Amino acid sequence: MEKPFFFAGTEDKPKINFDPKNNTFEISGNSYPEESPKFYIPLIDWITEYSAQPNDQTQVICKFEYFNSLSAKLLYEVFFELQKITEKGKPVSISWYYHQDDHFILEKGQEYKNVLRIPFHLIAF
Amino acid sequence: MDLNTTFWFFEKVKDDNLCLLYNGLISDDITNKLIELSEYNINNIEGLSKMRKKASFLMAECFQNIIRHGEMVTDLEKHTNNSFFLTRNWNDIYCIASGNLIMKKNIATIESQLKVVNSLSKDELKDLYLQVLEHNEISGKGGAGLGLIEMARKSGHKLQFLFEDYNKSVSYFYNQILLHEEDPSEELPTSHAPISEAVFLHKKMIEKNILVVQKGDFAQESILPVLKIIDNNLKHVFENSSSKKRIFHIIVELLQNISKHCCKNQKISEGIILLGRSNKGYIINTGNYIENSKVEVLRNHLTKLNSMSKEDLKSLYFSKLKERYIPESNGAGIGLIDLARKIATPFVFNFHPIDDQKSFFSIHIVA
Repeated sequence: MEKPFFFAGTEDKPKINFDPKNNTFEISGNSYPEESPKFYIPLIDWITEYSAQPNDQTQVICKFEYFNSLSAKLLYEVFFELQKITEKGKPVSISWYYHQDDHFILEKGQEYKNVLRIPFHLIAF
Repeated sequence: MDLNTTFWFFEKVKDDNLCLLYNGLISDDITNKLIELSEYNINNIEGLSKMRKKASFLMAECFQNIIRHGEMVTDLEKHTNNSFFLTRNWNDIYCIASGNLIMKKNIATIESQLKVVNSLSKDELKDLYLQVLEHNEISGKGGAGLGLIEMARKSGHKLQFLFEDYNKSVSYFYNQILLHEEDPSEELPTSHAPISEAVFLHKKMIEKNILVVQKGDFAQESILPVLKIIDNNLKHVFENSSSKKRIFHIIVELLQNISKHCCKNQKISEGIILLGRSNKGYIINTGNYIENSKVEVLRNHLTKLNSMSKEDLKSLYFSKLKERYIPESNGAGIGLIDLARKIATPFVFNFHPIDDQKSFFSIHIVA
């Protein structure tokens, strides 16, 4: 798949750069939009499309500053959609970055790690 | 502050389109944020945007007065952290007030300057302004005179002021100015919010240990600047970024709940938020109208969450997390479940019946 998914990021929406050609999958910043579903559903749809012909390896990097509860739910759907790719025999992993003092982001990462069945790395910086 | 404080403040400022009260340390940083928020508020109210420049100027002038006259009591100020700032809007009137500690020995000078300024006509004020600019002589205290003259000129109304005893040598100095879109020569009715009302609100904030009260529109675009101020404020207060984030999170969830579920008043998501402190930590109160038909569902949801153990809340949270998203469910209350997991004590809440249509919902959270 050639077409990347890019969003520049705003005060309340994260920066997203999913670019298969360059094998870059990054999401970072804040996420507390008024309509989390409206924001995340296009990304989920993009992943569904991408999963038809995924790269040999998909390594997703998450560097969140803050996200609200509804974003947390939609992010789960994003990860769940990514997880489906592994059924095709193409590995997917998630690297979850958190500031070493930031229990909020760490805890959220631990929660996802517990409920997902793909390699989920918690990385302090 | 307790649960009832919310409704008390809401009733006091019920007719305001917006109201921002701040009780705390006034630093350059906070000054800028408060002005930014007030400017944002002004821009969003129809008919007020023309006043934005004037209002910003007057606010900046207020803060400079606080900082300038406050110099001598800096140590005391640092200890008490109770400077006061207010902006309110009702109808087409915009009101700005501030309050800060000054040395009593300076009262006479400030008062006589204010009296002079208030006694002059528009043209006389202009003459005095030019005269002071040239000779720089009205006050011994670096330019304090100029600020007051400019405030009077820009506002077009008398400067209201009041001194309140603090202790033997120190007083609170309050001043208030009104801005009005229409002919400024027309006398404004001050009965709605006389300066004594500002003092009254400030005293209540001190008594209840409240930092910020904001009443207004809590649609998403309006809460962003509020959140910015809170974020900025929290950065100063907490060394630890985790507690900062936890409090920020509680505020985001509560404000977004207001935005989503409140009973709209002429399309405005009207609500109030109060931030306070106690020996147990931070306190966050919010309040908003909700339709009577939604009261039982919300009451049951909150009561159920309050009765659950942390373990049960955790499994409920995960089951909600894994549920496929259904557009109609509007998030299905995951926000409150998440909050219930994050707070140490159960939700304290109340529904105050207003009329056949709506009730006032208030919630009190110790973070």
